Amino acid sequence: MAYQVCIDIGGTFTDCLVSNSKGEIAIFKSPTTPGEFEKGFINVLHVAAEGYGLSGADFMREIDLIVHGSTVSTNALVERKTVKVGLILTAGHQDILVLREGPRKGAFQWRLNYPDPYVPRHLTKTVAGRIDARGRELAPLSLDDVRKAAAEFRGLGVEAIAVGLLWSVVNPAHELAVREILEKELPGIPVTLSHEINPMPREYKRIIAAAIDASINPIVRTYIEKLKTALDEEGFEGELLLANCVGGMMPLAEMIRKPIYSVMSGPTLAPMAALALSDEPDIIVGDMGGTTFDVSALRDHQIIVTPDSMIHDDSLGIPKVDVRSVGAGGGSIAFVDEGGLLQVGPRSAGARPGPACYGQGGTEPTVTDANVVLGIVDPDYFLGGKMQLKRELAEAAVDKIATRLGVSRQEAAYAIYTTSNHNMVAAIEEITVREGINPRDSFFVCGGGATAIHIAEMADILGLKRYMVPRFMAGLSAFGGLISDIRSEESAVLLTSDADFNVAGVNDALKRLKQAGNNFLADAGVAPENRQFEFSFLGRYEYQSFEIEVPFEAKDGMVSESDLPGLVEAFHKMHERIYSIRADNDVVEFTAWKLRAIGKRSGQDIWQKNTLPDQVGAIDLKARRGIYQQESGRVETVPVYELAQLRAGAQLAGPCLVEAETFTAYLKDQHQGQIDRYGNLVVNIA
Amino acid sequence: MDSINRLELDVVTERRVDPFLMSVLKSRFEAIVREMTLVVMRASRSAVIKNARDFSCAILTYDHRLVSVEDALPIHVMSMDMATRPLTDLFDDITQGDIFLNNCPYTGGTHHADLIMAMPVFFEGEPLFWVVALSHHADTGAPVPSTYLPFAKNIFEEGMHFPCVRVAQNYEEKKDILRIGTMRNRVPDMWLGDVRAQIGACRTGERRISELFARYGCDTILGFVEDWFDYGARCAKAAIAKLPAGSYSYETRHDPVPGVADEGIPVKVTINVYPEKGEIVVDVRDNIDNVPGGLNLSENTATGSCRIGVFNNLDESIPHNEGAKSQIKVLLREGSVIGKPKYPVGTSVATTNVNDRLMIAGNCVFSRMGAPYGQAESGSHLPAGVGVISGADPFKHGKSYVNQVFVGYAGGGARYGFDGWLTYCGPANAGLIQLDSVEVDESMYPIVIERRGVLPGSQGFGEFEGAPATGGVFYPLDHDMTIVYAADGTSFPPRGVLGGGDGKESETIKLRAGEKIVLPAFSEETIEDGARIEFTACGGGGYGDPLKRDPKRVAATVNRGWLSREDAETVYKVVLVEADEPGLLQVDEARTSALRTV
Repeated sequence: MAYQVCIDIGGTFTDCLVSNSKGEIAIFKSPTTPGEFEKGFINVLHVAAEGYGLSGADFMREIDLIVHGSTVSTNALVERKTVKVGLILTAGHQDILVLREGPRKGAFQWRLNYPDPYVPRHLTKTVAGRIDARGRELAPLSLDDVRKAAAEFRGLGVEAIAVGLLWSVVNPAHELAVREILEKELPGIPVTLSHEINPMPREYKRIIAAAIDASINPIVRTYIEKLKTALDEEGFEGELLLANCVGGMMPLAEMIRKPIYSVMSGPTLAPMAALALSDEPDIIVGDMGGTTFDVSALRDHQIIVTPDSMIHDDSLGIPKVDVRSVGAGGGSIAFVDEGGLLQVGPRSAGARPGPACYGQGGTEPTVTDANVVLGIVDPDYFLGGKMQLKRELAEAAVDKIATRLGVSRQEAAYAIYTTSNHNMVAAIEEITVREGINPRDSFFVCGGGATAIHIAEMADILGLKRYMVPRFMAGLSAFGGLISDIRSEESAVLLTSDADFNVAGVNDALKRLKQAGNNFLADAGVAPENRQFEFSFLGRYEYQSFEIEVPFEAKDGMVSESDLPGLVEAFHKMHERIYSIRADNDVVEFTAWKLRAIGKRSGQDIWQKNTLPDQVGAIDLKARRGIYQQESGRVETVPVYELAQLRAGAQLAGPCLVEAETFTAYLKDQHQGQIDRYGNLVVNIA
Repeated sequence: MDSINRLELDVVTERRVDPFLMSVLKSRFEAIVREMTLVVMRASRSAVIKNARDFSCAILTYDHRLVSVEDALPIHVMSMDMATRPLTDLFDDITQGDIFLNNCPYTGGTHHADLIMAMPVFFEGEPLFWVVALSHHADTGAPVPSTYLPFAKNIFEEGMHFPCVRVAQNYEEKKDILRIGTMRNRVPDMWLGDVRAQIGACRTGERRISELFARYGCDTILGFVEDWFDYGARCAKAAIAKLPAGSYSYETRHDPVPGVADEGIPVKVTINVYPEKGEIVVDVRDNIDNVPGGLNLSENTATGSCRIGVFNNLDESIPHNEGAKSQIKVLLREGSVIGKPKYPVGTSVATTNVNDRLMIAGNCVFSRMGAPYGQAESGSHLPAGVGVISGADPFKHGKSYVNQVFVGYAGGGARYGFDGWLTYCGPANAGLIQLDSVEVDESMYPIVIERRGVLPGSQGFGEFEGAPATGGVFYPLDHDMTIVYAADGTSFPPRGVLGGGDGKESETIKLRAGEKIVLPAFSEETIEDGARIEFTACGGGGYGDPLKRDPKRVAATVNRGWLSREDAETVYKVVLVEADEPGLLQVDEARTSALRTV
């Protein structure tokens, strides 16, 4: 039996999704082991081996492929436990990481300190030398300044170096010369050049990416090496791929070369899963966990890449799959403020102590407590009965809110439930409205353990007509990893416009991109027939200061003068789609050219092999349970079904509950569910 | 404790809708304003709207009470009621599908460049709400190509005024009215595009509120609005109840502007605080008469800025709705530079400059209560770092360019517990304006930004420090560049409070062939090919006695490169030594305490 495995390390659990050669998929979980993530990684493989009745060694030998969403770099950044980075900038611009582009704050928010720069002042050095926007050298690079910086870095104990010089994207000579000197002066210290890691003509974003990349370089390298050693010792002989944050997989060597691409890679796998689960053009993916609700989207069945991801007070710099997070999870805490308004989150009870009903010492009311009081969550069947919840503790916690609001316990629970739903709806609207996606015409795919409890009401608020609760909702990201392709993004800066189009320059850039993409795929062992290339450019109207990304077709990877009208029209169309206007008479400027190199894998074919038999006869009722209904103000009894008992084509009429080992789904009145042939629950709203 | 219990009692007894609906409808109304904001953002053309976010949306009840203002610029919305109120006074035939335009300070507008678009929302024949979209337009057809005209004495020297004019009826644009606007405009396509973006936002708002009515019913929505105002009032009262009672005054001064105000313009604010009533009265009647120029405030901005100063000193979580607003009363005088302008004096600069000074005074007057209240003066507007540059682009065959850049702007004042905000810009912007990328500017315009960054030691010292000044040098490539700016804070830099020091003044210098030429504070200058312009945007004022500053904070500021070791010792009496980590300094506790106890 040849297994394919995806391991996704979460805050609490390490998830392991395994697909066998028949396409049968199983989920296994083991506690995450912070500090030594590779231990939890190996542990969960042993849990899986046990699940198949195999010895660890036998199971390892039969695994063809492991894909892995690592959190080691994200954790290092979140906990600010990165290595000491030295930064080299252009003289006169030592404050690029201090000023950013003006950090975000609220209009009336004044009780805050200005955030410190990612690299502190004493580790930031400047060197004389200047290139202009057209690549001309205005002042030569001072080699003495570079040597002086290197000597200072040596004394300061710098472990990695980032170099960010103005206009290196147009003329990299100075950055390359700096690296040459550093390699001589400080052998063994990794150096990240801004024009290589993030070639975009916007210095803060390019250079913060270089600084972040350098600061996690040794950490990612060490982790990958430890993981490889551990797997070797277990006798694993298959292939190991790592998830990146642009929605695909990378070989180890590539990740070691560009470690920033591992940051926040786990959550980006959820939209990749949606890509495989549905053919719908516009899809919203919501993943509600213990502390956050992560939302992402597909537009025209394409993942959306954003240049605006943040980590603490800084931009991540590189474009990544757009996943937005709000503090709305099962553990989010409800409170009544000074003016008497109920608020839920963003403070969370987390995994410890967790919701009051966990009985681990938490006393504050959380969303999960409200769900227990409402009757949606069965305290005796949480995680398939593996964890006993305490209803009386949930009630006591929710009663605090009831007293403050002067309403009944159930009304208070509903108020918590619906407030939390509205917080998530606001996050969904944020991404959809901004990206030009109409929620009313979109399909919604649920991910994470808790989303299916809340989706029905959110769907009604948003005016959604259809949503899906995937069979592996609780491990949606891991599922996304299992089926996603090998993928890398390459880009090159070339400023030109439709008024004065530089065909030769563009083709030169495209040629270099294609070469880089081919090299990447060859290194990843992708056969030429499985290679796919997607081109796009970043464009703007003259005097606009923000670019938008526009995909285009390039025959044989080249463009000609006659392609220009098509490129310009594609830009107008995309601008109209995102900003609702087009300006046909304005000059269109092209600032950068991008290539997405994709190595197709057969993940999709594997899981779709396994289908359910058709439902024959009536469906089995598991139980009936009372749920508080806000509309009637009463507890009403609804049927409860067990997902494992349902077969393809089974029809479910809301209101009802569907329980599985890893989740509960609540369908409201007018919500019609059907099990598809892969075991997913697809709901239509009348 | 008593007051808290009373508040809880209020919550229970005075409710009109279920508590869960409060949270739900609050978030629905916020979502509507956010969506309106996005429509303006997406559909507008001009850079000042798109990049500088110089626009705001709001929802008011039909009787002009402010419901929701998510993501808005405070100066646009804190007295939005003044811009809609004249509509119901002037028209007796308002019907569904009407849209009105108002940019006239004599009918409640802010200043001539802010076009305020208002649309009534009807439900079953009854007008119940106003949806409003305000945008700052790039041009209004004034005699000179700018919307800030410090020397324009009266409205006849300003751009086009629309004193409450119906621009759409039965959802159809009135082409004749729009033709008046496009005819008198230097960039008519941009103007019309931006106007239509606002119309789009109003129609989106109208549609979404109608959907809310259909879903929740009229009684629930109207009941919610009253509960929501009560909630805002309760939050504001609770915050004001914590302040010390009394009457407090503060005066600051705008720089001299030749021919308009040769001595500068004093700006005086008095607040009377009534904690037991949870109310504050802001009195600005004791100010000079209107000046012969564009620096006079409009009634709208004077009222709004008085409230903003107060809100800047209250908890940020208070909803900025009618309930909260109503706890802040404003007293104005007709004919005062800070008050109701006397027709037809000019008000084209009513949203920045003197208005910034009014907000600064409002921020600072609370410091008269002593620590921990209030804040120090912050920098104000339009140094050369945010000047309007123009010229003929040599790389585009001499094509002309003109736009405002945001290369560097002023720092914020300190407040108790916090140093000033570095990328502040001015009180009207609340730290929300984006700073330009050097590379984006250099790719867009034929200029080179030689340096741009923090100027160490330029902050107002204190127990809490103002933000340091930002300065820089830039120059035109292969052509002559013109720059227009109005650098307030050159004569009267931001002052510290309660013993805190002053921030550095604004400076404008031309560098030419080894020569340093000091330029006037308010001017239009040509920077010839080969010359460079150097600017300093003000640093913020300090708060409290520098000798009370936590020595660790002093060490951190030195390590950040914003303060010299010498200043640490002479100003703060903090002695630093090498820290364990190479390259960093730390406090020498013994020598510091010896120095500080002398």
